Amino acid sequence: MEQEDGGGLSASQRRAEARRRKLLLNSEQRMSQIMGFHSLGDADGGDRDGACLGSRGRDLCSWPRSPSHLDNESKIEPKVHHEQPKPDSLPVSSMSKRGANMSGDSATLTGVSEHRSNVLSEVKRSNLGEIMDSFSKTAEMANDNSSELRHRHRGDLPSETAERGPRHGLDQYLSRFDEALKLRNQMISEKPSPENGNSAEEFDSFRIFRLIGSALLAIGVRVFICKYLSIFAPFLTLQLAYMGLSKYFPKGDKKTKTTVLTAALLLSGIPAEVISRSMDTYSKMGDVFTDLCVYFFTFIFCHETLGFFGLAVP
Amino acid sequence: MVHCSIMAASCAWLLVLSSVLLCNLLKILLPSFSSFISRLLQKDAEHESQMRAEIQNMKQELSAISMMDEFARYARLERKINKMTDKLKTNVKTRTAQLAKVKWVINIGFYILQAALMITLIWKYYLEPVTILPSKWITPLERLVAFPTGVTGGVGITCWLVVCNKVVSIMLVPLG
Repeated sequence: MEQEDGGGLSASQRRAEARRRKLLLNSEQRMSQIMGFHSLGDADGGDRDGACLGSRGRDLCSWPRSPSHLDNESKIEPKVHHEQPKPDSLPVSSMSKRGANMSGDSATLTGVSEHRSNVLSEVKRSNLGEIMDSFSKTAEMANDNSSELRHRHRGDLPSETAERGPRHGLDQYLSRFDEALKLRNQMISEKPSPENGNSAEEFDSFRIFRLIGSALLAIGVRVFICKYLSIFAPFLTLQLAYMGLSKYFPKGDKKTKTTVLTAALLLSGIPAEVISRSMDTYSKMGDVFTDLCVYFFTFIFCHETLGFFGLAVP
Repeated sequence: MVHCSIMAASCAWLLVLSSVLLCNLLKILLPSFSSFISRLLQKDAEHESQMRAEIQNMKQELSAISMMDEFARYARLERKINKMTDKLKTNVKTRTAQLAKVKWVINIGFYILQAALMITLIWKYYLEPVTILPSKWITPLERLVAFPTGVTGGVGITCWLVVCNKVVSIMLVPLG
């Protein structure tokens, strides 16, 4: 027979309720520890609300507290630390975790963007809006309970101003990300089709042609021409000839490489066309440099070989 | 003596070229070389294969035993198999860790040697060109080509190293 108290609940029911609440609180603290947050309660010396997080999650006080709850806590303090949290605590902790992930600091933004990159095709802006809404709701919950703490940590800034910055940054970031995705799709669509699948090989053949041409020119220059002028003049002429001849070779330069540099430039807000053109120019410069190296090497090699066999400098 | 020194000076370009070629070749052969070295250093592989064969035999024997009729023998054999499997796992783990360490040491050693060789070459030919051409041949770029020697018409070590690296890497593309 259980004894009834004044509030209509038996003592055991009251104890069970208190234990349940304490376990919920404990789950928050555990989650905070796992996530590496510091509870403000430690700093304040009495408020042990694990949901009112430190620097990352200070907006997210996800567990409303009541005076009776605090009373119950003090009664059951020694026991509850050894007990496991109940499944009831999961929604609260997961909500606070989600809210913490959507808070405005750069680390969590990166996490969101990484997640977004993993589900590139599915996730659209509407989903993001939902996530942002849930973030706002969580933040509103926090406003009810931890306004003092928030003001202490943010100074005099109102909460909306503080939220708008990260949200605006996130929007901007995501618009750039969409642009990067468009470029990616464009590059995928520009992949060589089966009928012109030999373009890579033909590009290689053009490259080999260039290298052999440079080497032959170097030999020719060493043997015949260089007594009259600089060795770089014929090389420049050859490069001009290559520019003209490149029309007659199949275009193999559609093979755009998606490098980290490309991604970084895209995410910095540089238009995709500019990047594509720059990369094209860069690759052409690389080709010319390679030709120059081969040309110069062959020239020196030829010159030294002729010198070794006793042929005088012209 | 003087003739030898002149020969050595005239072969500087070849020396640099050979060094670069050697380094690039070694870099290509480095994985197989480190595998060979680790195989030489580790003689446990035979022991491991022996253990594997033993485990296989015991498993065959275990499959021949009826668990209902000869439970004690079955359990004893199973325990033995488990013990040997654990031992084999530990051995393989140790050997893999050692292999990774050997490869790492060889790679690091190679890169240190390569850097030392390049620094030595640059140090040696810092002031004297690897080869000399008539200055009018390389007219607009003579200062760039001669860097850091400052000798008119000379080909500096920096330029020659860059050229050799590029050409050798192109030549070694078919070798992977």
